[in-house]
Amino acid sequence: MKKLLALLLALCMVVGLAACGQQAAAPAAAPAAAPADSGSAQKTLTLWCIATESDANRPGYEKAIAEFEAAHPDIKIEWEAFENESYKTKIKAAMNDPETLPDIFFTWSGAFLGDFAEAGTAYCVDEAYKPFAADLPEVMLQNSTYGGHHYAIPLTYNIVALFANMDLLAEAGWDHVPETYEDLCACCDALLEKGIIPFGCAGKETWCVTEYLEPIIEKTIGYEELGKIFAGEATWNDPAIADAVTTFQDMINKGYFDPAGIALGNDEVKANFIAGKTAFYQNGSWNCGEVNDQVANAQVALFPVMDSSKATYGQVIGGPSDSLAVSAYCKDPELAAAVAFELGRGICHYGYLAGSGLPAWTPDYDTSAVKPLVSDVAAIVSASDGMVLFGDTAMSADPANTYLDYVSQVYGCEIDGEGFVAGLTNDLG
Amino acid sequence: MKKLYSNKLHILIFLLPALILFCGVLIAPIGASVYYSFFKWNGIGAKTFIGLANYKELFTSNAIGFLKALRNSLLLAGLSVFLQLPLALALALTLGKKIKGERLFLSVYFMPVLISTVVIGQLWLKIYNPDYGILNVFLRAIGRSDWTRIWLGDKKAALGAVFVPTLWQYVGYHMLLLYAGVKSVPSELREAAMLDGASDSQVNRYIVLPYIKPIIRISVIFAVTGSLKSFDLIYVLTNGGPLHATEVPSTLMISMLFLRNRYGMGSTIAVLLILLCFGFALLISAIFKEED
Repeated sequence: MKKLLALLLALCMVVGLAACGQQAAAPAAAPAAAPADSGSAQKTLTLWCIATESDANRPGYEKAIAEFEAAHPDIKIEWEAFENESYKTKIKAAMNDPETLPDIFFTWSGAFLGDFAEAGTAYCVDEAYKPFAADLPEVMLQNSTYGGHHYAIPLTYNIVALFANMDLLAEAGWDHVPETYEDLCACCDALLEKGIIPFGCAGKETWCVTEYLEPIIEKTIGYEELGKIFAGEATWNDPAIADAVTTFQDMINKGYFDPAGIALGNDEVKANFIAGKTAFYQNGSWNCGEVNDQVANAQVALFPVMDSSKATYGQVIGGPSDSLAVSAYCKDPELAAAVAFELGRGICHYGYLAGSGLPAWTPDYDTSAVKPLVSDVAAIVSASDGMVLFGDTAMSADPANTYLDYVSQVYGCEIDGEGFVAGLTNDLG
Repeated sequence: MKKLYSNKLHILIFLLPALILFCGVLIAPIGASVYYSFFKWNGIGAKTFIGLANYKELFTSNAIGFLKALRNSLLLAGLSVFLQLPLALALALTLGKKIKGERLFLSVYFMPVLISTVVIGQLWLKIYNPDYGILNVFLRAIGRSDWTRIWLGDKKAALGAVFVPTLWQYVGYHMLLLYAGVKSVPSELREAAMLDGASDSQVNRYIVLPYIKPIIRISVIFAVTGSLKSFDLIYVLTNGGPLHATEVPSTLMISMLFLRNRYGMGSTIAVLLILLCFGFALLISAIFKEED
């Protein structure tokens, strides 16, 4: 009898544990049937993004979400922001466990989103796009279109811009941003003579180094050729690329770059520029708002042409990349997609006004308050001859990181132009 | 009751929940890592079985740099055993002598263990800052500007610069382990040795150290396996850079998993880390056993 009792007790314990397990799993399954009767209850959608407190896009997100929630009291947006690099890790880890994915998530277009679209974890937004087509030109979705289907909602778009502190340039006797490479070198030499460091570049975040190297390569070989290389349609084996790398390393060796930059992150380098420690800062145009507000006399321009037979001043690196995508595993993807479009429009609107990028959506609001530097970038883009998406966005993860590895070796002067070309040709073709 | 305990089925049934938990949390992930290490997989798409190709590539590819990362980890392990542990032991022996302010010193030395690694990382980032960091400021103040470095950006200096806080952080941890051992030495033994005319160092050498040998063994195992697994502080300080100079297997694994989307390769590194940790734990135990 005691034996039987003991066995029964043990069975009760095991069954109890199993029941606990079922209870724990229940909430995830229950909402699947919820949409039919959830019309009156407030719905909550989760959103992940990279608009941290120090991010230039933060005000745009805050205003857009607040405005959306005010207009749609039945929908609450629970959003979280993560630092850029750690976000890449987090979102990829979440892709392995779709239950942990938010309903809407920030993504870069190109190959980054391409992996999610291919794996079926990103929701196709073709249907949701139709009501918004009049306000969002389809060309803006081209970097997030795979197999003819759209998978993300673009926010603002950006290019690599050369920011200049004109007060520091004036100290060195320059009243304009140099437009030729020779002038740029002369300007840098003059700045150094005055004890001013010309450039800052964050070596701790290799994408910041590409913001310097890619424009130099583009202005040497032309945007079409660079675009083909990033797309894997042309080889890296081009002596002109080696020349471009040599140009970049010459600038480093001449002391044009803050030597401390190799150990610094982007925020620190940007802070140095804003504080007047460096005269130039070449980075994404999403910094326009901050630079506009915090540097008294700033101008924005492009890196000069290196080979005028292949490139023009108006060729730029950039394009629509920052986007919102919808998880294919969310409870109500149709609703989430519609909300993502609404939010995308709002974030674009306020981001544009705040100076964190150019509008992917056609502005239907008063743009007289747009910051001067943003207007300058808009003018640069409107006069642009060609555009190539950022290399690490255009390439898929593994080749992109191989490429970034070589870029960091270039910045550390571990390899020269020939080594860069030989290595990439060997590893990526 | 005795009858109940003697029935193996009963024992199994009562152990089952814990066994399931143990297998689910520890064994299953290890099994999954071993399984994924045989595949080429980007983590979200279809998997392709490639056998041992990941293992082969890991040891032959210069581009991945696993051997360099492993060498860095083993160097850290060596420093932990031959620098960190002797320091921790010296502190434990000193504090074990009931010196004045013993508890205060214990708390002070143990404090870095309690502080979040991210906070410690930020603290040392400031210390190493090339412009306003206290280290360079001090060197300039004493007239040794030639010794100043971009500590975390200089390929030659970065590894040492990362190891210093890593070792510093856990001195207190090992000290506490060893201190507990020192305190457990029966006072009669000490007193008897003292009566026989043994000096402090002789008491430590012939009484205390042999007595706390099992704890020293545990400390050595923790120091070595901890070094092999080291990740957080390095991730915060340099993330394996500059130019992979401070790369360790764990940072390499994260890079493979989440930056390069090479889940098969990342799992391969995870499997090798597990094997290395087990291997070293067994080796250290065997060495101590042999000495006994």
